[in-house]
Amino acid sequence: MAKKLMKGCEAIGEAAIHAGCRLFFGYPITPQNEIPEYMSARLPQVGGVFVQAESEVAASNMLYGASGAGCRVFTSSSSPGISLMMEGVSYMAGAELPVVIVNIMRGGPGLGGILPSQSDYFQATKGGGHGDYRLLVLAPSTVQEAADLVIDAFDLADTYRNPVMILGDGLIGQIMEPVEFKKEIKPEDLPEKPWATTGCAGRARNIINSLYLDPEELEAHNWAIYAKYQEMAKEVRHEAFNTEGGCDVLIVAYGTVARITKTAIEMAREKGLKIGLFRPITLYPYPTEALVKAAEGAKAVLVSELSTGQMVEDVRAAIAGRKEVAFHGRVGGMVMGPDDLVEQAEKLVAVPA
Amino acid sequence: MTSPVGRRDAYDVLTAPVIIFVGHFGSGKSEIALNLAFDFRARGHEVSIVDLDVVKPYFRCRLAHAELAEKGIHLVAPEGDRFYADLPIIVPEVRGALSRSDDGNARVIVDAGGDDLGARAFGAMSDLVDRARTELLFVVNTRRPFAEDQAGLSTMLREVETAARMSVTGLVANTHLMEETTPEIVLGGLEAARTLSAATGIPVRFCAALRRLVGSLDRVDCPLLPIDRHVLPPDKRPRRGPLGRPMGI
Repeated sequence: MAKKLMKGCEAIGEAAIHAGCRLFFGYPITPQNEIPEYMSARLPQVGGVFVQAESEVAASNMLYGASGAGCRVFTSSSSPGISLMMEGVSYMAGAELPVVIVNIMRGGPGLGGILPSQSDYFQATKGGGHGDYRLLVLAPSTVQEAADLVIDAFDLADTYRNPVMILGDGLIGQIMEPVEFKKEIKPEDLPEKPWATTGCAGRARNIINSLYLDPEELEAHNWAIYAKYQEMAKEVRHEAFNTEGGCDVLIVAYGTVARITKTAIEMAREKGLKIGLFRPITLYPYPTEALVKAAEGAKAVLVSELSTGQMVEDVRAAIAGRKEVAFHGRVGGMVMGPDDLVEQAEKLVAVPA
Repeated sequence: MTSPVGRRDAYDVLTAPVIIFVGHFGSGKSEIALNLAFDFRARGHEVSIVDLDVVKPYFRCRLAHAELAEKGIHLVAPEGDRFYADLPIIVPEVRGALSRSDDGNARVIVDAGGDDLGARAFGAMSDLVDRARTELLFVVNTRRPFAEDQAGLSTMLREVETAARMSVTGLVANTHLMEETTPEIVLGGLEAARTLSAATGIPVRFCAALRRLVGSLDRVDCPLLPIDRHVLPPDKRPRRGPLGRPMGI
């Protein structure tokens, strides 16, 4: 298939179709409206169903129902809308339902603004809804990667029977880049889900539920899903760039900030400063071991995010005091330039006068 | 600005004082409008650029406001915090800009939003323009979703005309894949625009291509508009500043 020029949002939608997903339930919000817009045009063409729900709360419960019935299903929203979905997300984690949720983050808190942000890191990786649960969280930094990760997200969701979140900032959703779709999965070729509520003729009933009134049962359920999260650790992914043979400053960044870091690396090279990039692709599970290794060869570590400092806590926990971990963040829709990162890196390695 | 002898630039074929760009969402209207505005200005025209994009939230031509101001090009777009909004705001000045094009030296370039939705904003004011002296140009990038085949192109063309309440007067071939664009991709897109032209009777006005490709397109029998990118994501901006306002995107 010839390469197309797509917005991140459009590529995410097309990737879901390529993953064999034929159901989208959601509610519009900037800066991800192109996902529902795209799905509303494309799904009827491939025999799928698009429903604009009455709210994000409703959409997340539609996901619960469709996933419980064994279908591949996804939704997308942006920060405030994702907050509204959190009740449903917790229910789906509790009922062990595989769904894909896309959050194209905008500035918060509250209604915030419509420009890009990464300030939902805590919400995505540490819970967000109530109860002891985790989402598997994937963070693309290009349009191609967004498309590829969406396809992987559906498989990971099925493997672990757990919601998977694609966490992108507004720029990843809005930027336009060439993209190619290499594989297409037909819905009819997907493996059967023996646990789904598909009609119990000839077999015992399947039940999709997150209510456990018996405390012993609920405790056992919690430890069972906890074991699943432990197993997810083998899914860690990261990209290390320009770190071979060590570097002066290792910048840890994901999404758009990782892109900016790559430009900063080129700018710093002209000044004789070697910046390396460590880019986590899975934000949960976090690629802790690989990060520790990359940081060993760095004189200084700098975390940069479009937040006041969220992922930096995971980095500091990983580095565990072995090195100083500096932070540089912009918020509210403001985005650092590559030159800002070079300046920050220079400060860290400057010899005190 | 200097073209090889014999080749005409987009500038040479665009003589109407009002030029409006419509087309599929993401077809390249904003960059074309900006490049043309800078081109007209460099050749001594009084230029206004109207950002009528009420569809997309990022990467609109208003982001080049500092560069436009520096060159003395008048930008008509919402101000203050509404500068950043994706609300259907049309400032009153738009009506003035559209009807004030009788000065022979003035050029008004309008960047409408994508699809029929974007064209509708202009449609509400299309009675203000002198149709005989207005170009309504439909931008074609066949690498964009829903614009890959003739059926998709002609459907959108009709929908845009209905929404704009005006017939399209010309086509702009703008097929590209950003940095991955090759001369073959441009030529393939020009061919598709010509097929659409043959089916509709609407002429291809010009072909847009990244400036680095213009040398390889010298023999193309179509006026060219060399494109320099003005609306760039933060990782493609070498330094703080060219977009002036310390803004996000």
